[in-house]
Order: sequence, then structure tokens, then C-alpha cells
Amino acid sequence: MTNPVTDGIDQVKTWIVKRHPDRQDIAGDLDLIENRLIDSLSFVEFVFLLEQVSGRSIDMDTLEVDSIRTLDAIEQHFFTARVS
Amino acid sequence: MAAPALPITDRFQEVLERLSTKSIEDYYNPYQQFDWPDRLDEDRMWMSPELLTPYGTPLFDQLGEDTLRRLSKWESINFYSLNVHGIRELLIEVVNRIHMPGFEIPSDFFHHFIGEENEHMWFFAEFCRRYGDKIYSSTAMRATSDWEPEVENFLVFARILFFEELVDFYNTHMAQDASLCDTIRQVNRLHHQDESRHIAFGRELVSLLHTRMRETISEERHVEVEAYLKRYVVFSINSLYNPHVYRDAGVADPLALRNALLADDRRRTIERKSVRKPLAFFLKTGIFTDDVLPVI
Repeated sequence: MTNPVTDGIDQVKTWIVKRHPDRQDIAGDLDLIENRLIDSLSFVEFVFLLEQVSGRSIDMDTLEVDSIRTLDAIEQHFFTARVS
Repeated sequence: MAAPALPITDRFQEVLERLSTKSIEDYYNPYQQFDWPDRLDEDRMWMSPELLTPYGTPLFDQLGEDTLRRLSKWESINFYSLNVHGIRELLIEVVNRIHMPGFEIPSDFFHHFIGEENEHMWFFAEFCRRYGDKIYSSTAMRATSDWEPEVENFLVFARILFFEELVDFYNTHMAQDASLCDTIRQVNRLHHQDESRHIAFGRELVSLLHTRMRETISEERHVEVEAYLKRYVVFSINSLYNPHVYRDAGVADPLALRNALLADDRRRTIERKSVRKPLAFFLKTGIFTDDVLPVI
């Protein structure tokens, strides 16, 4: 049985590793921006990927960079159930 | 941001004087220049078909006439929105440098540049708000730069120049397209007129900044700068393929369309035409060692 949360994060991880072949794996708490895995030029592509994988629309005007800073933060903000 | 004086040449001085004089002579009041109609005809194209992102692929015909017309409206709003954000960001950088050491000579022209760019930003924003009821979001990530000052100074003006040249390709094309309405042609024509001065200035300044930067950085660092600037070129081109635009045009799967177009090599051939001039300039000046562009 598939798990939408781990499947989603795996797709995000695969996307990053494909662009940084020197990385085998990415720890959940690794700072993606400080380690230059996402920068100002790949940011928009990354947000579109998150929209596609999570199925959620993301407003770039209000997006906080901290919400995409680590895989753990991405999981929390984009792949866990919304709190209404 | 402070830097040694630019290696000014007589040619640069002459160009600056000529362009500053022309800025004064050609000055117009944009707030009185436009006769904005209440609405634009939704049954006409708002952007030349050959400038639409699916052009040149089988998807162009598959989308159908109605979707293409809606797409022409929203891709034009996206194009002007990109201008608004691009100008906003470049103004911040130029204002930061206008009276800083190292920029004494071009400072006077910067005043014209800032004034004109502010007015362009106004008429592009006005178009988006009047006829699209929105400005599309900026796609930039607010991040601090970690380049050394000499590299950052070069990159700021190289990015501005590339952005202006890319936009100018679209402006020139739409200004001449008789199938577009007068308002759209006028916006594009006026912007093209002013930008031809800014591009002439930008080419001179970027050449000088490149010369100055080369003297202070290693060959290895230059390779990194070239790689970054090439990624910026692709980033700028890709910003035209906006899934939010496709959604507004009624495309069922906007991200799938974007991915399909970005994966279609026929689009790369078409994109090359829009960036031919700036790439030739980057090659001629040694800023680029080849014209191979990366995937980002």
C-alpha cells in the first residue's frame, strides 16, 4: 500500500538528488538553502514541483522560505493533513 | 558594494553623454500618453501567436482556438507582470549603487534610467490591473547574495541587460504586429523606444564591469559566474511557462502542459531566437565561453 506522505517526500528528494548527483541521500533536517540544494534560480521550479506532488496551490507572494528549508519542514507544511 | 573606479573609456563617456541627452529630448509623460480603453476585445489575440509558449509544438493546435485566445490574454498579463517584478528588482539594485563609490561616472545616467524604469513599471502594472485585474506573483526567492562585491556588481547589471534584451524581443515583435490592438502595440512600442537606450548603456557598462571583475577573480571563479549567468538565462526563459497562466486560460492540467513544453526540443529552437542577441553579446565579450545552456 502506498503512503502519500512518504511517496511525496520521496519524489521531492529524487528531484533534488537528480540535480545534485554528488548527494546520495538528504537528511530530513538538512538546510536545503544553506547547502545550496535550492537557490534563487531553482526555487520556482521547486515550488511548481511541490504544487504538482502535493496537489496544493502555493501562493509565492506569501510563501515563507522556512517552510521549504528542510525536508521535515516540507513534509509538515505540504504533505500532512491540513488543520482546518 | 564599494568598488574601484570603472576602467572608463572615451567611448563609454561619449555613449553616456549621447544617451543622457536623448533621454532628456525624448522625455514624455506616460501618465498622459495612454488613452486606456475601458476594456480590450476578448475575441482578439492579445499576444502574437508565435510568441505564445505552445507555439511550434503539436500542443498549439491541440489546445484549440478558444483556449489559445484566452492563453494570449493571460500570457500577455504574465509577460507584463514579469516586467513589473523585473523592473522592481532592478530598481532596488540601481538605487543601491547610484551614489556609491565606483559608479560616479554612470551616476547621472542612472537618474534617467530610474525615472524611466519607474514609469515603465507603472504602465505595465496599469495594464495588468485594468485588463487582467491582477499582477501575477513574483517567482523570485528573497535570498541574500554570497558573491563577492565585484562579482555581484557585474551580475546585477548582466542580469538587467539580459532581462531587457529578452523583453525587447517581445516588445519589438508585438509593436509591429498589426493584428494586435492599438493599446497593446503602443505599450510595447514605447517600452522598446526607451529600452533601446538602456540596452545600449547596459552593454557598455557590463563590458566594463566584466573587465574589472576579471582582474580580481580566479579562472575557477569565472567558470562559476558563467555557470550562474547561464542558469539565469534559462530561469528567465522558463518564467514565461507559467502554470498559473495555463490554469487561467482553462487548461485542464497546467503543470503537465508546462512540463511537456519544457521537455519539447522544438521550443528550444524557438527560444534561441528570442535570446540570440544577448547570447551573441555574452560570447563576443568573453562572458560566455560557449552558448550551451543548462537544464535547471
